Amino acid sequence: MKGGPVYTVIFMLVISAVFTLVLSLANAYYLPQIEENELLDDRRAVLYVFELDAEGGPEEVLELFENAVVSEMLADMEIYAHLDEDEQVLAYAVPFTGAGLWGTMRGYLGITPELDRITGLVFTEHNETPGLGARIDEREYLEQFRGLEITGELAYGPAGDDRLDAITGATSTSKAVLRILNNLIDRKIAELEVVLDD
Amino acid sequence: MFGNGINPFVIFFASILTSNMILSNFLGMCSYISISSEYKTASGLGKSVTLVMVITNMINYLVYKFLIVPLGLEYLRYIIFIMVIAATVQVMELAMDRFLPDLHVKLGIFLPLITVNCAILGTTLFIIIRDYDFLQSVLFGLGSGLGWWLAISALAAIREKMAKNKLPKGLAGPGITFIITGIMALAFIGFSGIFTIT
Amino acid sequence: MTERIRQVISRNIWKENQVLRQILGICSALAVTNLMTNSLVMGVGLTFVTAFSSLTISLLRNLIPHRIRMIVQTLIIASYVIFVDIFIKANMPEISKSLGPYVALIITNCIIMGRAEAYAQKNPPIPSMLDGFFAGVGYTIVLLIIAFFREFLGFGTIFGYDISFASFELWTIMVMPPAAFFLIGTLIWITSNIFAPKNTKKSETGRKG
Repeated sequence: MKGGPVYTVIFMLVISAVFTLVLSLANAYYLPQIEENELLDDRRAVLYVFELDAEGGPEEVLELFENAVVSEMLADMEIYAHLDEDEQVLAYAVPFTGAGLWGTMRGYLGITPELDRITGLVFTEHNETPGLGARIDEREYLEQFRGLEITGELAYGPAGDDRLDAITGATSTSKAVLRILNNLIDRKIAELEVVLDD
Repeated sequence: MFGNGINPFVIFFASILTSNMILSNFLGMCSYISISSEYKTASGLGKSVTLVMVITNMINYLVYKFLIVPLGLEYLRYIIFIMVIAATVQVMELAMDRFLPDLHVKLGIFLPLITVNCAILGTTLFIIIRDYDFLQSVLFGLGSGLGWWLAISALAAIREKMAKNKLPKGLAGPGITFIITGIMALAFIGFSGIFTIT
Repeated sequence: MTERIRQVISRNIWKENQVLRQILGICSALAVTNLMTNSLVMGVGLTFVTAFSSLTISLLRNLIPHRIRMIVQTLIIASYVIFVDIFIKANMPEISKSLGPYVALIITNCIIMGRAEAYAQKNPPIPSMLDGFFAGVGYTIVLLIIAFFREFLGFGTIFGYDISFASFELWTIMVMPPAAFFLIGTLIWITSNIFAPKNTKKSETGRKG
């Protein structure tokens, strides 16, 4: 019996069914939590570009977001706005998407309502090499963008007033970031400027 | 122009040189270390890997886009991918035996080894994570295969030359193989910067 | 099987360490070793998968048809890996992000398949589970040793904690892939020197254990 084709097929079917069932249950059980994590991640990213405390626990983050941030449809983009107590806009978080070295990068660029200064930069998704290009997630790199005046093209090193440093060993990724940002500033932020002026 | 804005030919060349499966992603190391003492065998394995890589990645891409995503089976994707790889290798072996007996004699012995080569599953996973389109996937599979072939052939050639050299005690075998690989990886870093992503 | 638990431990962690002595499971091992936290999570994930897949395969060892045993083993291993992946995603989202596709690559890590073929197939469940568990621990230790040097010299941190009191110029090369190759080559060199006087014969017989 054992080793016969019928047994082999039945065994394979049974074992596949058992493992698939167990995995489906695990997936169903953890799915809400995974989705919550993703939402929380997004909220933290937005708070980070607004220079708000994004490090707190889940409840604090969601509460802070609820109180200080509203989402608006401007220039065909879902933009988050950071409001003060008098409902005045302190900054906008503009979402961006672009090609990195290895795949799509997504994130938010925080920008003042006058659209002349960057308040912060954050990535929510990228596929850069761990330990190299993936270091764009490090605070040391991201903090360089805080308070950067938008006067022309962003550039690394002397070409950009020595304000920005690329990541050592990850030149392509670093360049891709600036290409995406310059693109965003040229097109989307320009569109946004028109909308806000109206 | 392309799914995520990355030129497929950049992906092709980058996957051969700057993001080599072995030298920068550490994938497919087991067979790379154990089957690299002889140039001819190593090169044969490299060819088989390239072939399997292209075919399985095409199939896995189509399975993912037209079967896994529509059916919402994302959480089962690893099982499905590895099964597809195992099945493809089996079918290829049969087909080769039947239609290309010469090639089967040359490459056939490597085919069973390839199922467990992490570089194959690795490329599939990278394709899914990086959201490549069909052309990008095919070229990425081809480039990764060629890069793997290049690395294992180069290593085998070096090891053949070194076979008679005297080495410090305990360094012969895997020890020196890793050191050589390290030097090769260093040399390959020299390629970075050739490709600018535009 | 008369092997005592102490023997299982010393065999898997030291005498026949999967990475250093058997040169297995390097693939996914090296890629994540520039940070200790990632290495630890990867190691724990692999230990869990090896232990439980060895247990499962051993439990089913008299039922699995011989001809399709590789596929069945792969299926079992893949299922556990998917579970680990879902678990990390739900409970440690940050780490899941930084490990990227490497968690899934545990499936093809030769250590798991190796333990299944060499041990779990012909031994009772509990010893198989312990064997898998300690093979994973041995792997984790090697990963952590490599990661220690890479993170300490490359980033100036240990487990992400700044150790700036020991200030020195950071070695960028340590962060990049070649360093992993140099370090593992050196570790293998050192361990094979330690074992050299005893000759390789001994570990050959032990392997069948």
